[in-house]
Amino acid sequence: MKLKFLIILTAAANLFLSGCGYDNFDAPQLTLSGRVVYQGSALSVRNNGPQLELWQDGFPLRSPITVYMQQDGSFSAKLFAGQYKLVRRADAPWLQQATDTVRVNLTANMNLDVPVTPYFTITAESFEKSGTSIIAKLVVNKVVPTANLDFVRLYLGKSILTDQVQREVRVDASLGNVVLGQQLQISSGALPDNLKNLDFVYARVGVKSTSAGEYIYSPVQKISLK
Amino acid sequence: MKKIYIGIVVSCLWLVSCKHDEWFQRESKTTITDEQLWNDPKLVTSQLANYYDRLPSLHGVFNTGGMTEIDDAMWSGTRDQNGKNDFQYGSDYGRYWDYGLIRDLNLSLESIEQFSIKLTAEQKNLFKAEMRFMRAFVYFEMVKRMGGVPLVTRQLIYDFSGDPTPLQTPRAKEHEVYDFIYSEMEAIKNDLATNNGIKTRANKYTALALESRAMLYAASIAKYNSLMAAPISTPGGEVGIPAAMATDYYNKSLTASKEIMSGPFALFNENADKGGNFYDMLNKKTGSEVIFAKDFAVGLKVHRFTYDNIVKSMTEDNEASSAISPSLSLVESFDYLDGTRGTLRDKDASGDYIAYSNPIDIFAGKDARLFGTVIYPGTTFKSSPVRLQAGVAVWNNTSYQLSTSAELGKNYTDGQTWTGFDGPKDDAVDVSNTGFYIRKMVSDAPAASTRGTSAANWWPWFRLGEIYLNAAEAAFELGRPEALGYVNSIRARAGFPANSLSALTNNIIRNERRVELAFEDHRYFDLKRWRIAHLVWDGSETDPNAVVMGLYSYRVIRPGHPDNGKYIYARVRPTRFRRARFFRMTNYYSSIAQDVLNNNPKIVRNPFQ
Repeated sequence: MKLKFLIILTAAANLFLSGCGYDNFDAPQLTLSGRVVYQGSALSVRNNGPQLELWQDGFPLRSPITVYMQQDGSFSAKLFAGQYKLVRRADAPWLQQATDTVRVNLTANMNLDVPVTPYFTITAESFEKSGTSIIAKLVVNKVVPTANLDFVRLYLGKSILTDQVQREVRVDASLGNVVLGQQLQISSGALPDNLKNLDFVYARVGVKSTSAGEYIYSPVQKISLK
Repeated sequence: MKKIYIGIVVSCLWLVSCKHDEWFQRESKTTITDEQLWNDPKLVTSQLANYYDRLPSLHGVFNTGGMTEIDDAMWSGTRDQNGKNDFQYGSDYGRYWDYGLIRDLNLSLESIEQFSIKLTAEQKNLFKAEMRFMRAFVYFEMVKRMGGVPLVTRQLIYDFSGDPTPLQTPRAKEHEVYDFIYSEMEAIKNDLATNNGIKTRANKYTALALESRAMLYAASIAKYNSLMAAPISTPGGEVGIPAAMATDYYNKSLTASKEIMSGPFALFNENADKGGNFYDMLNKKTGSEVIFAKDFAVGLKVHRFTYDNIVKSMTEDNEASSAISPSLSLVESFDYLDGTRGTLRDKDASGDYIAYSNPIDIFAGKDARLFGTVIYPGTTFKSSPVRLQAGVAVWNNTSYQLSTSAELGKNYTDGQTWTGFDGPKDDAVDVSNTGFYIRKMVSDAPAASTRGTSAANWWPWFRLGEIYLNAAEAAFELGRPEALGYVNSIRARAGFPANSLSALTNNIIRNERRVELAFEDHRYFDLKRWRIAHLVWDGSETDPNAVVMGLYSYRVIRPGHPDNGKYIYARVRPTRFRRARFFRMTNYYSSIAQDVLNNNPKIVRNPFQ
């Protein structure tokens, strides 16, 4: 009797365990990582802001895999091996290029630089503390000829995640003073009470075109106040 | 062997008896046929009731959760829904693509034509007009959320030929959908006149009210979209209305509004207390303010808006209450009756707290609609005082130490109230997190806050107050002088002196809409059509318009000082409010679902999708 019970138990356990092979899949193993680049250098964006999309053909139902970016313009996605199409979405600080997909043939871990055409770029940026204020110097360049400037802004924040959404201070440059391709200076004015006694603040400049809701930023810089 | 013979005989009998076909062709007792349905006015009415019940809204029809997803309020209910305080509008926010309801209405319109022989021509026209009203209402909901959608006005039937292309309808231009709504309303409004006097079914004035609202939306999209630095549009016009069409749409809206205002309606005015009057307007079913409502009745069809949102200490049930906590920015958008801006005076010029003798004094002289919309410290609900006090402010020789008790309703060491039974309490569940509760549409009927009885006050789809503001906006945009009078009448009902304004601006009209129509499913769409949603809800954590702020009241403990025992107010950002409202360009038109795009290659994506 006891033997029979054990045999049944063993048989059942075998069935259960071997059954797992049928309804469980391996998690995706391959990593597609990379950056969004313009002329070879990565573009800084808002953390959790602009997105890329991956699509795969050959299935009856299509649905996108959204790829989010870190604020230094890098991204990564865990995927199965296969052929993918990478799309640069709208409402980003670069052209949509919806019909111009980047084909990705993923067979091993892969590093991919995605070229984009930003409406504007920021170059030669520098930040310095001057008395009680922060002075930013930068050059705004137009890339897409039809783009129009909406805002050029200096942001100060308490954390490394500083952008249009997370910030303590935002100062607009007056657009009348902005000459494309030439150095521009933005002063933060006297630091507010919640920043002036800190050891350091984070600073960043951002430029927005009228064509999209997202900004292109400079890399975040840590500025020592003491 | 004998059994087999018996078997053969029995089966022979069975087969022979099949000749009696009439046995199988009895009338069903559980199914109503098309012939029966479309020839009996009572059955048709009950079919229509089903459709009326399915009319869509985004934050409307007592949608407590939806009302806490904009800047007018935050969510203070159960923690599992705190996502309403911690999200950004997804690109699919507000997506609405209900061709199931459109098909049902098209099918009914064709069936009544095909099967109805016993109805009088008048009855038939009335029923058809009601269905066409509802179809236009559904298309309006779709166009304001998605832009131009496929205009399907007949049943689509597949012929099993293997080719689905005849069923694939492309999107209409955005203005074509608005034009469709206008022409439908113009065509049916006279057929609906039989229903005038019924507020829960479409009548002539309901059709005009839809026309007034829809034409105003079309006009402002035409005007303000083209004023954007980069107008949102698609090459085929599925999204975006040419600026040149704005004047015509404003005129159509104004004409419809004027026809309603000359009809049998009047601004609700039954209570001498202006604040109570504004509350009664929607809480009572009397008066002639409401043009079209979704009605409820105790024991028959109820809603739980009162259960969800009643003041903490007054709930008659034992679980969740107080989910909607109105925001400080909403409270401050109510102006003072002397015409000054509504910013509350909590601190003086040098940054010191201003102390008030009574908790209610800081709200003295406010627009009476504030009382009718929001419950604030020192006021009453159901004739009993609310117990709103965040804590005590103890003077420690240099500044105030703000202290709150761990439990609601505790007394401080001096034997007086520490934190009130109604809070506010930061990071608490089922008690206000902003210092305010909602009053508007929260029923004061006995047992309305119990789940057993629930509330039966109705939902106003259209009311005269909105029509006045529609008329004011359209007239102002057209440069007509009568705009001022419309706004002044609305303000006079709210307690302002007659002719309180001498000139209008866009901002005044927009603010009037915010305060008059708060929690009535207007604000999200208003900000969208004025194309300022991305500026107001810019996602900035430091912007008091994008962040839901609160105002906490504290009792001063400072013996020997004139302020002792008075009340001060602190602006706070509730801990449970995690992420500023963030409306992105992609939210102006919700993205179209991927399965719709998969099924119909003729559908054009929305911009930024």
